[in-house]
Amino acid sequence: MARMKFLCDAGRCIECNGCVTACKNEHEVPWGMNRRRVVTINDGSPGERSISVACMHCSDAPCAAVCPVDCFYTTDDGVVLHDKDVCIGCGYCFYACPFGAPQFPGDGAFGSRGKMDKCTFCAGGPETDHSSAETEKYGRNRLAEGKLPICAEMCATKALLAGDGDKVSDVYRERVTYRGASAGAWGWGIAYSKGKQE
Amino acid sequence: MHTLNQVNQPRRKLTLRSMIILVLIVIVAPLIPYSVAAVKEGLSNPNPGAQLWRDVRQRDGTVVGQTQARGVDSGILISKEGEQWRQFRMQQFTPYSAMIFAAVIGAFVLYFLVRGRIRIEGQRSGETIQRTTLVARYIHWFAAVIFVLLALTGLILLYGRWVLIPVLGPEGFSATAIACKNIHNYIGPLFLVSVVLLFFVFVRDSLFNFKVDTKWFLKAGGYLGGSHPSSEKFNAGQKAWFWVAILGGLVLALSGLVLDFANYGQGRILMQDAHIIHSISSVLVIAFFFVHVYLASIGMEGALEAMTSGDVDTNWAKQHHDLWYDEMKGQGGGKQDTEA
Repeated sequence: MARMKFLCDAGRCIECNGCVTACKNEHEVPWGMNRRRVVTINDGSPGERSISVACMHCSDAPCAAVCPVDCFYTTDDGVVLHDKDVCIGCGYCFYACPFGAPQFPGDGAFGSRGKMDKCTFCAGGPETDHSSAETEKYGRNRLAEGKLPICAEMCATKALLAGDGDKVSDVYRERVTYRGASAGAWGWGIAYSKGKQE
Repeated sequence: MHTLNQVNQPRRKLTLRSMIILVLIVIVAPLIPYSVAAVKEGLSNPNPGAQLWRDVRQRDGTVVGQTQARGVDSGILISKEGEQWRQFRMQQFTPYSAMIFAAVIGAFVLYFLVRGRIRIEGQRSGETIQRTTLVARYIHWFAAVIFVLLALTGLILLYGRWVLIPVLGPEGFSATAIACKNIHNYIGPLFLVSVVLLFFVFVRDSLFNFKVDTKWFLKAGGYLGGSHPSSEKFNAGQKAWFWVAILGGLVLALSGLVLDFANYGQGRILMQDAHIIHSISSVLVIAFFFVHVYLASIGMEGALEAMTSGDVDTNWAKQHHDLWYDEMKGQGGGKQDTEA
């Protein structure tokens, strides 16, 4: 079984926000919410680097650990998904997540949090694949169509890689070993070093 | 032999010393230029790659990057505090708070089995004395209803994943948890109002009287045997409960407001800290609340009336609050008619 992972090569990302736009468009993510964002460190100074970040689908996911209603589950592909019918919008996953992935519509009374939304690795949710309920709640299920996440597919510089962890690291290892790229497999220590799945 | 040794010893010492000095020179001498340079200019040759990852991992404090996303904390790539908060909630707070509550409830079950209900000495006299005004009772029950709702919904949200999901199923518990979250969030701000009102109603009788109250504490209120220590209108234990409820309640209400109004965009670190403070103070106040409820209901005969009709039996007053009873008798406060 594949173990899906994201990898953002900080040496290649040019902060074009193509991944962000592609994601918002593909899943019709509402206003004010971003499943993926690009963050630039040292903007305008020497050593400037940009990194595209979304849910990293951690092996030992902190969001799933702290959820008071246990609405998270990990698919056979290692993708961390959640059930919006069960989610209560408490925000605990947002406190626990190191990557700031969970997003909340402020649609409750007095602006309280609505049901959480986050990157699905383009793998939908617990509903039947391609059902209208799934599309409405979680966006398109590209994985079920045999496609990889749109953000990585669209990435112009191939900074953002998505797919089976072994294949992704092979691509990256080749860049570092044979093509002289600097090592920058961003966030892998945090996301994938713990837990049973590798 | 003797003479030979005397000759050899200085020579051996000399050899040893020169060896040590030679080794030190070999080790230390090459370092001198570096240390001089370090002192003079401050050697600093950071690896730009390593520095980037230190910034990303927030090793040297919070580093906020630029981003087009307009969310809370969007500029932070990795927040290490989340893991600490998770450890606190899952490894420490959830199990330890359950143990504390179990210990408090267990202690009262044990106490009730051994000691039974604390009866009024010498039966009821039939005469009553007014203990609380109507306003005080209204405010007490206003605060009580709010507190019970908040504590109950909070405890369901805390332990429901382990206790209620097996019973109700994920969807069933989700509906319960959404109701609990909304009740908790919407009623929460009213709790602050009730705490302030409680303070003004009961503060006059809750100021500690050093002599009387120290004695009461030393005798553990007479609950563990021995004679009943003297007490004013409120005994030292009740005064302690007052201060725990007021100060703990204020901390709970204020930290709760930070968590409640996420729409103001406060960051995760502030909310994690507020949650930790909210959690710890809630355990303290709920534990005291159990003591209060036990002693005011099944634990003691004649106590509940103080908060229902407001009039207590004179024999109960003599037994539990002798100084207050004497004071009221001196003012002709006994055998009052209840107010409407």
